[in-house]
Amino acid sequence: MTMGLADLIGATLLVLGCAFYGAGTVGLLRFPDVYNRLHALTKADNQGLLLVCAGLAVLSGSWGVTALLAVIWLLGLTAAAVSAHLIARHARHGPDPGVSAEEP
Amino acid sequence: MTSTTVYLLAASAVFGIGVYGLIVADHILRKLLALNMMGSAVFVFILTVAGVTPEGPDPLAQALVLTGIVIAVAATAFALALMVRMFQETGLTSLQGHDGDD
Amino acid sequence: MTIGVLVDVLLALSLVGLSLQVVTGRALFRDLVLFILFGLLIALSWARLGAPDVALAEAAIGAGLTGALMLMAYRRLAAGGAADVSPARRRPLLALPVAALAGILVAIIGLSAQGVERVPDAAGTLVLQELSATGLGNPITGVLLVFRGLDTMLEMAVLLVALLGAWAVLGAAHPGRLHQVDRETPLVSALLTTVAPVTLLIATHLLLVGTDAPGGAFQAGAVLTGCGVLLVLTGTVRPRAAAGLLTKLLAIAGLAAFALIGVSALALGRAPMTLPGMWAVYLIETAMMLSIALTMTLLFARSRALGPEQR
Repeated sequence: MTMGLADLIGATLLVLGCAFYGAGTVGLLRFPDVYNRLHALTKADNQGLLLVCAGLAVLSGSWGVTALLAVIWLLGLTAAAVSAHLIARHARHGPDPGVSAEEP
Repeated sequence: MTSTTVYLLAASAVFGIGVYGLIVADHILRKLLALNMMGSAVFVFILTVAGVTPEGPDPLAQALVLTGIVIAVAATAFALALMVRMFQETGLTSLQGHDGDD
Repeated sequence: MTIGVLVDVLLALSLVGLSLQVVTGRALFRDLVLFILFGLLIALSWARLGAPDVALAEAAIGAGLTGALMLMAYRRLAAGGAADVSPARRRPLLALPVAALAGILVAIIGLSAQGVERVPDAAGTLVLQELSATGLGNPITGVLLVFRGLDTMLEMAVLLVALLGAWAVLGAAHPGRLHQVDRETPLVSALLTTVAPVTLLIATHLLLVGTDAPGGAFQAGAVLTGCGVLLVLTGTVRPRAAAGLLTKLLAIAGLAAFALIGVSALALGRAPMTLPGMWAVYLIETAMMLSIALTMTLLFARSRALGPEQR
């Protein structure tokens, strides 16, 4: 099996992306409270998604697929941002905010 | 061992687990979860035994499963509507409430 | 053992482990979330088995929509004060042996069925051979609309019956106010203004590519349902007490389009359910998509109709 430069770059991006996902998951499991966990998930997983999409785009070698992957990435970002925001908001207004009660 | 065999065995195990869950569950929502898992197992089963054509799994089986997925969610939605109404009327979320002879 | 099979084994083990968790778990909410995860992994295994159409449908409908319906029902029970959401289970003596036997039976049937030689003119093979005559590039769309159109039409009937059944047990009480996402935060309206048009675009894309590539009315309908669910959850549309003409028409659109075109073939002297051309495929698929999306959104909202907030 021979690998061109594009394959190598694509595979590297994919592995890097998976590493970010792994880090995000470790954060989800190990961090103490909901805000820290969200921080780990949104930061690391968004980066992971970007790298995975970039890797797939390089591997596909087609602009059409790249455009679709960009849409997927943007939608993923939107979903992550809004859901993380709502979860954090819910936690903050809930019975156990877990942070000092200063108003925003 | 090929991939289809792996998924076939997994589907069998999930089906068995679903049967167990269906029997031991008290809450209707849990029964529905178990039923849905059994359904998913059956779908995987159908595709793994249907055989493959040069263009992937048998298209007839795929269309059958696609139809099945939609029917399953329709049936689940109806069951959930029934459950919510039953809860509103009786306050019960399980099927063995009154006769207690099971 | 290649790396591909290793991935399959890992995925299969996760499926079994997750289903065990769901069945034996203590907290119902957690098990619901795990069930959604189970559905997503099932979708992944479809992709691994080479069935992207089914994977799309499973991810959107099997995992997403079923999960949303279940979470909504859970919330309705919790809002009504359902006390014990994780009650002690009954432990019938026979449960374990019966379950084990069921699993073993399925495995035996499956393993022996896999050993059966595939006949050269199996229906699926014929579909691929005859596909070019239909003008479609996606064999699954071909089966759904052309070769087994009757099945798909009756499936739309089942969806309609589910909706009518849900309406029948809805009760006279006004649909209770759902606990909605609070719209104080600007992000939610920003999400609505960006995501709602994008879902329309994606649904249309899925519908159009469905004739030649993975996609089609079911997947498009599921994506559109996602938009509907979003509108319901944010309170942009609210339950109405009675279904108007538009709601009724849209609910039967898929079934009606299929039936009318299928029967009109008879009048033209062709076999029933023969589609007169590609325009019929697109027409039926569009009608099905709208019917599926409306039916599912109404089932999710547990209401007869939905409309913008009235003052």
